[in-house]
Amino acid sequence: MGRAAAGDIPADPDLLRRMRQGDESALEMLYARYGGLVYSLAMRIVGDPELAREVLQDTFLRSWDGRATYDPHRGRVAWWLMGIARNGAIDLLRSRPHQARLRERERLSVDLPADEKDTAEVFGLRRDVMNALRTLPTVQREAIELAYYGGMTQTEIARVLNEPLGTVKSRMREALDRLHGLLTPAMKRDVEAG
Amino acid sequence: MTAVSNDRDHPVDDLASYALGTLEARERSRVDAHLAACDACERRLADYRGVIGVLPLALPAMPPPAAAWTAIQAAARLRPPRVRRWRTVLYAARWPAVAAVLVAVVGWNIALQRELAWYARGPQVEALSRRPGRMVILKGVAAPAANARMFIAADGGHGHMAITGLTRLPKGRTYQVWFIRVQGSPLVGGAFDVDTRGRAWVSIDPPANLDDLRTVTVTEEPVPGSAVPTGATLLDGRL
Repeated sequence: MGRAAAGDIPADPDLLRRMRQGDESALEMLYARYGGLVYSLAMRIVGDPELAREVLQDTFLRSWDGRATYDPHRGRVAWWLMGIARNGAIDLLRSRPHQARLRERERLSVDLPADEKDTAEVFGLRRDVMNALRTLPTVQREAIELAYYGGMTQTEIARVLNEPLGTVKSRMREALDRLHGLLTPAMKRDVEAG
Repeated sequence: MTAVSNDRDHPVDDLASYALGTLEARERSRVDAHLAACDACERRLADYRGVIGVLPLALPAMPPPAAAWTAIQAAARLRPPRVRRWRTVLYAARWPAVAAVLVAVVGWNIALQRELAWYARGPQVEALSRRPGRMVILKGVAAPAANARMFIAADGGHGHMAITGLTRLPKGRTYQVWFIRVQGSPLVGGAFDVDTRGRAWVSIDPPANLDDLRTVTVTEEPVPGSAVPTGATLLDGRL
């Protein structure tokens, strides 16, 4: 993910190192690599182009000025950026009561993209993640999406789904266990590919 | 997946919610406490976080608005990376910092050893004080702020003295304890220096026959000590 086979394309951690030294071109390369993904995630969570742009800008500025620091032990740079973006988007969502009410009214639809080829194919894992999510029972996928993209607490999810709290907890755990089993080989390949 | 099979012992369901950030504060604190002591759950949490990290890859790709990069670039120029500055400073200062820490640790250790040595003598003196003996109070003479207490066993041969209020001596100098006899030349009882707080706790070698003694004094002498007192009497006590 995020690193081509060619030796002259800098790896993500190299870009971060250069950014710490004030190299603006490294920030530009990181943005070119992950800007679309961060924007997609922000749009998925906040559902508004202007707010999503706000999240996008804040995510990359945090990675630039040191307000967010990357820990290689916690995973890939892309996952780190997604984490910043998700947290920012959820915070934004929670700070806007009308948005919160909106997301409680409208269940987040499971809209996995068609199996088209697009620019995101550069991320080798994408197809594996899409396929793994498709194997989940709808109730498990729904719980995961409400948690991840909706930023709801498990109690809120239980209320929205009209299910006991214990059932929601179990669904989320079963979903993550299943995804882990399905994705681990692909994730290892991705890490080894650098 | 890391094997954690006993749900009663491990908050397995809550770990997934924890990783997804959906736990309420109270449950989160409980899981935090468990994670601090459970490697298996910590590994399982890392597994979950790995999975969650790649979930956005399934989203349909959307090109960001063209104006976003322009805004990021403009803001970045106004905010130079602050990590660079403090990391550079830390990097440059790492060895002096390590040296300072080592010096501090060694100094603390020496002080602690002295402190322990000081208090470690307490039981010896307590045991000695239960034996028949004699307590001698020494008062400051040339060193008015100083005083000392000496305990000598009645059968002679053993004694301890606690001193306070003396100044620390320069290299090559020592305090010396003298037993001044009714007749004959003074006998050496011991030598010592004080710590930075002006204190010392020293073992004394009194003569076997205490009846022949008149006073105990302390003088300052050259190392390793003199055969007879040459310095001014700093402390003095009547036996």
